Formats: sequence, C-alpha cells, structure tokens
Amino acid sequence: MTRCKKSILIIVMMSLPTLVSAASVYETQMEFLSRAFGEPQPTPNIIWLSGERKSSVQQMLGHDYPAMRLRYWCQAKRSAWVLEEIGKELPITIGVIIDHNYIQSLRVLTYRENRGGEVATPAFSDQFNGVALGADGALAAKIDGISGATLSVHALTRLANMALFLHAETGCTDGS
Amino acid sequence: MVRKIPKRSTTRRLHRFLGAGAAVFIVFMVLSGITINHSNRLGLAQGRVSQAFLLDWYGLEGPEYIHSFAVGNDWISFAGSQLYFNDKAVSTVTSGLGAVASHGMLVAAGSEELILIDNDGQLIERIPWTSRGAGPIESIGLLADGSVVVRSAGQFWSADAELLSWQRAGDTVNTRSWSIPGSAPAILQQHIVQHYRGDGLSLQRLLLDFHSGRIFGSVGVVIYDLLALAIGFLAISGLVLWLRGRRNGNRKR
Repeated sequence: MTRCKKSILIIVMMSLPTLVSAASVYETQMEFLSRAFGEPQPTPNIIWLSGERKSSVQQMLGHDYPAMRLRYWCQAKRSAWVLEEIGKELPITIGVIIDHNYIQSLRVLTYRENRGGEVATPAFSDQFNGVALGADGALAAKIDGISGATLSVHALTRLANMALFLHAETGCTDGS
Repeated sequence: MVRKIPKRSTTRRLHRFLGAGAAVFIVFMVLSGITINHSNRLGLAQGRVSQAFLLDWYGLEGPEYIHSFAVGNDWISFAGSQLYFNDKAVSTVTSGLGAVASHGMLVAAGSEELILIDNDGQLIERIPWTSRGAGPIESIGLLADGSVVVRSAGQFWSADAELLSWQRAGDTVNTRSWSIPGSAPAILQQHIVQHYRGDGLSLQRLLLDFHSGRIFGSVGVVIYDLLALAIGFLAISGLVLWLRGRRNGNRKR
C-alpha cells in the first residue's frame, strides 16, 4: 500500500469514530422491566406493525420501524416498551413506561452515537414524564432540545410519540 | 496619433489568472458545502458507496469471515458483524452462530441475540438474549417437535412457537438437528463481500472528504489550503482593483 493510501486510511479511521465507539449501557432490559413491574414480571405480548398501524408509525418516524413486530409488557393498565431509533447513524435504545395513556418514565437504555449522549440524563428525559398524546396525535407537551444533540432529541421525541400510540392500540389501558 | 495601450498591472493579471483557476474549485465547494449542510435531509449518512475503485482507494476490505447456513432454499450468512438473508443485509449481529427455520420464521442466532426474519428476509424482531441474565448463546437447533432450542452457558432453553417465552429444557434434549455451517455458492459470497465493503463508507463521509481535500491525503489538504488562500487573495485583489478603477475614474472627471 502506498504512503498516500496509508495516510488516507488513517484519516478515514480517525474520522469514523462511530465504527469503534463503544455503546453506553445505562440500564439492561431486565433492570428496566424490574423497575417497571417489580417481581414477578408479566409475560410479554406482541403487537404487529402492519396495515394502518404500520402507516401511522411510518408517519411518526418518517420511515418504517425496522421490525415487523414489537413485544411489550402490560399489567394493571401500565405498559412497558423497549424501542429503537437512529439518532444520526446508530440506534438509540429506550425504555418507556406508560400508565393510563401518560408517560410515566422514559429512559435511554443504550446509547451508541459518539455525540449527543446528554439525552440519557434524567434532566432531559424527565421532560417526558406525564406527557400524553394531543388531539392531533402528537405529544401534547413541548420537549426542550439540547444544543449538539438535536437529532437524538428528535429521535427520542418520535419514539415517545410512537410508544403512546402503540399503548392505545394494544388496549392495555382497558385492562386487556 | 498612435493610441496608447494601457499597461495591465501585476495585480490585475494575478487576479485574472487565479480567478480563472479557482472558478471550478469555488463552484465545487459551494455545491458540496450546500449538500453537506442538508446531508441529514438527503439521507447521505445512511447512503453507502458501492463503487469498487472508491472502496479500494479507501482501503476497505471484505469481512474476515463469512459463515453461511442453509435454511430451506435460502442462505443465512454472518459476515463480520452483519447478518445477510441471501445477499440482502438484514441486521447487525454479535458473533453469528447458526440459523434454523421454525413455524414459518427464520431464526438466526448471535452470541447475544436472536434475530427473527420472515421468508422474504424482512426483520420481524430482534430478541436480546444476554439482557435476560442468561449467558451467551453457544448454538441453536430444532427440537423433535420443530420448536427452537438454544444452548446457552451449557444449559438448554426451548421457546414457544412465537418465541415469546423461554423455558429451561433440562440437561438433555431430544433434538432433531443443530445448525451447522455449509458452503454457500461463490457468487453469493461475492455479493456479500461487495455489500459489506460498501457498508463501511457513507456518501456523507465521501463528500466531506472531497470537500476538505482529505480524499487525496495530506497533499490534498495542502492543495485545498492553497486554493483557499487564492480565494482570499481574489477578494483582496478584487477590492484593490475596484478602488483603483474608482480613483482613476475620478481623475478623468
């Protein structure tokens, strides 16, 4: 390999830190479910993203959700969701607990991007607490952004919207 | 009377020479800069480069290994950290171990997750395994009744038809088969290598490197610096020429 090519390769490797950046795991799925329901945890259910439901989710995210089905946990009109959405280049995994159509808690479980990790702080994610869907199907409250983490903020906002929509779709609020 | 031809100044000649030389560069920088500003909306971060000469130029190589598993008439392959359904990339995966078909779904096992795919290669669900508190998956197979069985940390786990819940399956299980790698067709392996290499270089990265000159290495950066200085000179020389012309115009009046 020529010196020129070697130098380009080094530059590329330096400029693609996302390829080597390690994911930050703030909470595992098991810890999240324990926090949501304690012990014993409810058995998981499945909701398929197809038909009109798929179109609605696509409209919220601006693209298809990268899975055809989602599992959720429902108990006493509360549901728990583990969802993923790409911030800039890599997926952010979040855990959302919804109680009677209101977000009880939204937390980042795993953050993989190399910038914008501030969205994992409670100072940001607590803004979602108590938020429900408005009449227009969007979040009824305004979520303040974070400078330098705009895409991650938007990703979490979209997922919060999606979780509230899916919660209503499951009928978990009806106790089913 | 002989008409006197005005003598062109050095500044004017330099301005003209550098202006003509930098015109193409300026247009390119303007267009690439605008495109970079809107790269998120244009989806350039997700777009991938597929041209072989560019991938060669960047030194991007194929995966260290490709492990393929025959599932019915299709192939599930693990190339590095990428899972493929035939030649279609489906998802990332940690240390691919095997794949089976069960109850109308294809189930691919990585050491830390199970990935469910339909018969068209669409991702159905990604099931994290180690977050359940269990050890890494070691192998995947089918029980005699066609349901999925997984060996994890020396223990056997079996699932229901929808792979919603898992139970310990005892110390010995009546398996129909364990998934073992096979030899995928050479043409399929070539397609996978081509796709894998392209996955390492986004259109956004390529454009940024062109915009900064890094695509041509340290020499390119120096050349771009010189062109940037030339543009700076053009701004100053243009101002000087304008002021000079204005002053000469006043004198004539």
